[in-house]
Formats: sequence, structure tokens, C-alpha cells
Amino acid sequence: MKFSSIKYLTGQGIKSVWKNKMMTFASFCIMLVSLLLVGLCILAAINLNKVISGIEGKNEVVVIVLDGTDDEGIKSVGETIEKLTNISSVNFYSRDDAWENMVADMPPEQQEVFKYAADDNPLPDTYRVTVSDIEKLADTTNQLNGIENVEKVLAPTEFADILLSIRNIFSIVALALIIALAVVSLVIISNTTRTSVYSRRKEINIMKYVGATNKFINIPFFIEGMLVGILAAVAAFFLTMFVYNGLTDIITENPQILNILGVRSLYEFKDIMWYVLGGYVIAGGVIGAIGTIISTRKYVRV
Amino acid sequence: MIEFKDVSVTYSSGVDALHNVNLKINDGDFAFVVGSSGAGKSTLIKLILKEIDATEGTVLVNGFNLKKLRRRKIPSLRRTLGIVFQDFRLIPTMTVYENVAFVLRVIDAPAKYISSRVPYVISLVGLAHKAKSYPDELSGGEQQRVALARALVNDPQLIIADEPTGNIDPALSYEIVELLKGINECGTTILMVTHEHDIVRHFGGRIININAGNIVFDEVIGGANEVQ
Repeated sequence: MKFSSIKYLTGQGIKSVWKNKMMTFASFCIMLVSLLLVGLCILAAINLNKVISGIEGKNEVVVIVLDGTDDEGIKSVGETIEKLTNISSVNFYSRDDAWENMVADMPPEQQEVFKYAADDNPLPDTYRVTVSDIEKLADTTNQLNGIENVEKVLAPTEFADILLSIRNIFSIVALALIIALAVVSLVIISNTTRTSVYSRRKEINIMKYVGATNKFINIPFFIEGMLVGILAAVAAFFLTMFVYNGLTDIITENPQILNILGVRSLYEFKDIMWYVLGGYVIAGGVIGAIGTIISTRKYVRV
Repeated sequence: MIEFKDVSVTYSSGVDALHNVNLKINDGDFAFVVGSSGAGKSTLIKLILKEIDATEGTVLVNGFNLKKLRRRKIPSLRRTLGIVFQDFRLIPTMTVYENVAFVLRVIDAPAKYISSRVPYVISLVGLAHKAKSYPDELSGGEQQRVALARALVNDPQLIIADEPTGNIDPALSYEIVELLKGINECGTTILMVTHEHDIVRHFGGRIININAGNIVFDEVIGGANEVQ
């Protein structure tokens, strides 16, 4: 096909968007709503995943050092922990710090009694460790238990199991919801484009009679569908930005919610905006173009 | 050139549309196909356009054996034809110029050729002043002339006119057939389907009469205009 023909067909596709404005508007609205539903659902899913990951990260494993271990031995325990693979952070908490904190948390009258007992401090030296992947907590606990001069490891394995279950159930529900929304959207979009193409079946028929190939007939529809999809994607992006920023503002301005979720537990829109725009444009363009081509097939076939 | 050799068509509904038809229309001929409704005229046209396939027999059109023609090659066949329909079938969203130029764009004609050929053909059918109008701004007769210009623009070997005068005033009908006659005199084969006997009697020429799927009459008769 010559460049002039491609230019002509592309121009026809762009003109058709305006010429068939009522059907264009219907397709645009359906695609906008579909993209918004799926997009917001995905954003909710990735944010909830981040919140759960944040909660997981707050779970500390306490490594108790064997009583009587010298400073060199305590330091060696810390270095060995740092060399393990699933470790996110390691903080030393000396028996003296633990004693001071314990006494500080007591009522004043008890503090008086206990401050004279500091020399008989029964508390152990500990390392507070956070793990990167809570799913590997059991393995990491075993590794920590195997380190020389470690007396005991206290790990919140039950809580980790609960979190893992929540995350798994949530992932399945979110995936099922996204797939269901995507399928419903595709069916609605396909029906809308089919109606649009049906209204122009005579036009397609005439093109066939004058000897137009399927490719020649399809290209303007392809361009038109893609363009409507991209326009809907851009509109969906701005609406998403508006809704997302509105919701995150409500959450971050409410200390109670923030305490539960944790600071920086949600993605800021400016950090993910290019992914959102890219995802919408690709999804809108591809669904628009392919949806139109599928709908024209019945009428284009010579 | 069109040639039907022992062609029969039976639709899936069981209706026998054509029986063992043998027909040859040579290059440069002008032939009227007449017959009552349901006689098989439309089936004849559908076969030539390869909208349907013959149940039996062979159809040759402009060198294409339609029995062996692959689906993706159908556009190549149709590019050798010009087609004029009773209901004009112009693209409503395109101007007169664009409707006519569309045929040349389909065959990837150079832009320069399109810009010189299209105005020439539009002027041949007397619509140079309406080139920028849309079909719904034209009368029936004018729309049919645009359809003629579209059929003519790629210089086809054969023009099929399916009831081209069916939707226009009688006076304009003669004008359209005159135009077709003029095109035929330049060497283009014309096959015109009609049920308007007055027109056939007026112009005369080769008359093919189809009745109940059979060719019952195929002869050349003199027209009233020739007698006058």
C-alpha cells in the first residue's frame, strides 16, 4: 500500500470520529466507565497490598542472646544475622536499654524500688530483626536459632500466618474482580462498537462492491476505534487522578485511619501517574482497535 | 466479457433460481436483461459480482473463472467492473467528489491521476457544479449520475446497471440510459437489468428475457428511436 493511501485512510479514520459523533460518544462513554472501573480496582488492589506489606514489615523477630555471652560474642551474633538473606533490618537492644525502658514504663512508686535493683538486671541482650518476606519467616527463624550464642528466637509466626491468609484471600478476590470487570467491559465495548459498525454496514457494503480489500475497509475503523479508546483513556486518567487524590487526601487528613494503615502506606499519585496513563492508553487503544475490528469482521467479509 | 456455461443456482432454502443457463455477452455489447420479479435477474447479477456461487456450471467474467476465484481475490474481480444500483448506494458521509474518488483510492491510484480524472468524469455526467455536495443534497437523478460517474471512473471493462432507473422520474430515466449508451459507444460493455419495458422498447438492442430461472428470449431488436 502506498504512503498516500495510508495517509488517506488514517485521515478517514480521524474524520470518522467526528462524522459519527453520536456513536463515537456512546463508545467513548462505555470505554471511559470500563477503564475507570478496572483502573480504580487495580489501584485499590495495589494499595491494599502495600498496606498489608507495611503491616508485615512492622513485625519484629526477637533474637535473645545467651546469658553470659561476652561483647565479642554479642557482636558476632549481630554480624551473622546481617548476613542472612531474608533480613530487612537488625537493631541491637542491650539488656541495660531494656531495663531502663522497662523501669521508665512503670508507675513512679515502683520505679523507686526497681532503680536499686539495676545490678541484678535479669533481662537478656536482644536483637530486634525484621524480615523482608514474611512467607519465609519459619525458615529464617530456624536459621536464627542455629546461630552460636543465640538462646531463643521469638517470632510472631501465628500473626504472620493470619496476614498471609488475608493477603492470599485478598489477592484472589481482587484478581477475580478485575477479571470479571475486564470481561464485562469487553462485552459491553464490543456490543457498542458492533452497534456503531452496524449503523455503517451499508457504507462497508458499498466499499466491498467497488473492490475495496478487507484491509482497506478495516484501517479507518481500526484508527477510529483506537483513537476513541485513547481519548477515553486520557479522560479516565484525569478522572482517576481526581478521585485518587481526593480519597488519599481524606485518608491522610484522618489520623485514626493513618494510624491503622501507617504513614506512607499508600502510593502517591505523582509516583504512579505514568504507569496509570500508560496502562490506560495501551488498554484503551488496544481494546478500541481490536473491538472495532472484531465487530467489522462480519460486515467486511466479501 | 461474461460467459455462463450450464449454470444452475439452487438456494439453501430449496428455491431453484436459475436452470442450466447458457449466456455470452461479448466485449462492447449493450444488453438489457428483463423479466418479472423472482425470475432470476438478481441471481444473475449476484453471480457476476460473486456474491453467491453457482450450484452447477461455470461463470467467466472479464477473464476470471468465478468457480476457482479465491475469496481474497474478489476485490480484483470487482475492480474490473462498474456497478450502478437502483438505490444509488453512495456513501452518505462523502461528497460527490469523494464518492467518485473513493474507487480510485481503493486501487491505489496516484494522487495526481485522481485529481485530474475525478473532475473529468463528474463533468461527463454533468455534475461539475455539484462536486462538493453530499448525496442527500442531490435529487434522485443526480444521485444516479454520481453512481454512474463512480462506475465509470476506473475505466472498467464492464458496467452492471441493476434497475438504474427504478428510483427516478421517467424523463430522467431516459437520460440515464442515454448516458449508458454513450459510455457503451466508447467500448465499455453494459449489462442493464430492468423491468421497464418502455425503456427497452425505446432503445432496443440485445434483449435477454429471463423467466422462472430460464432464458426464454435472447435476441437483438430495433428500438423505437431507431425507427424514428
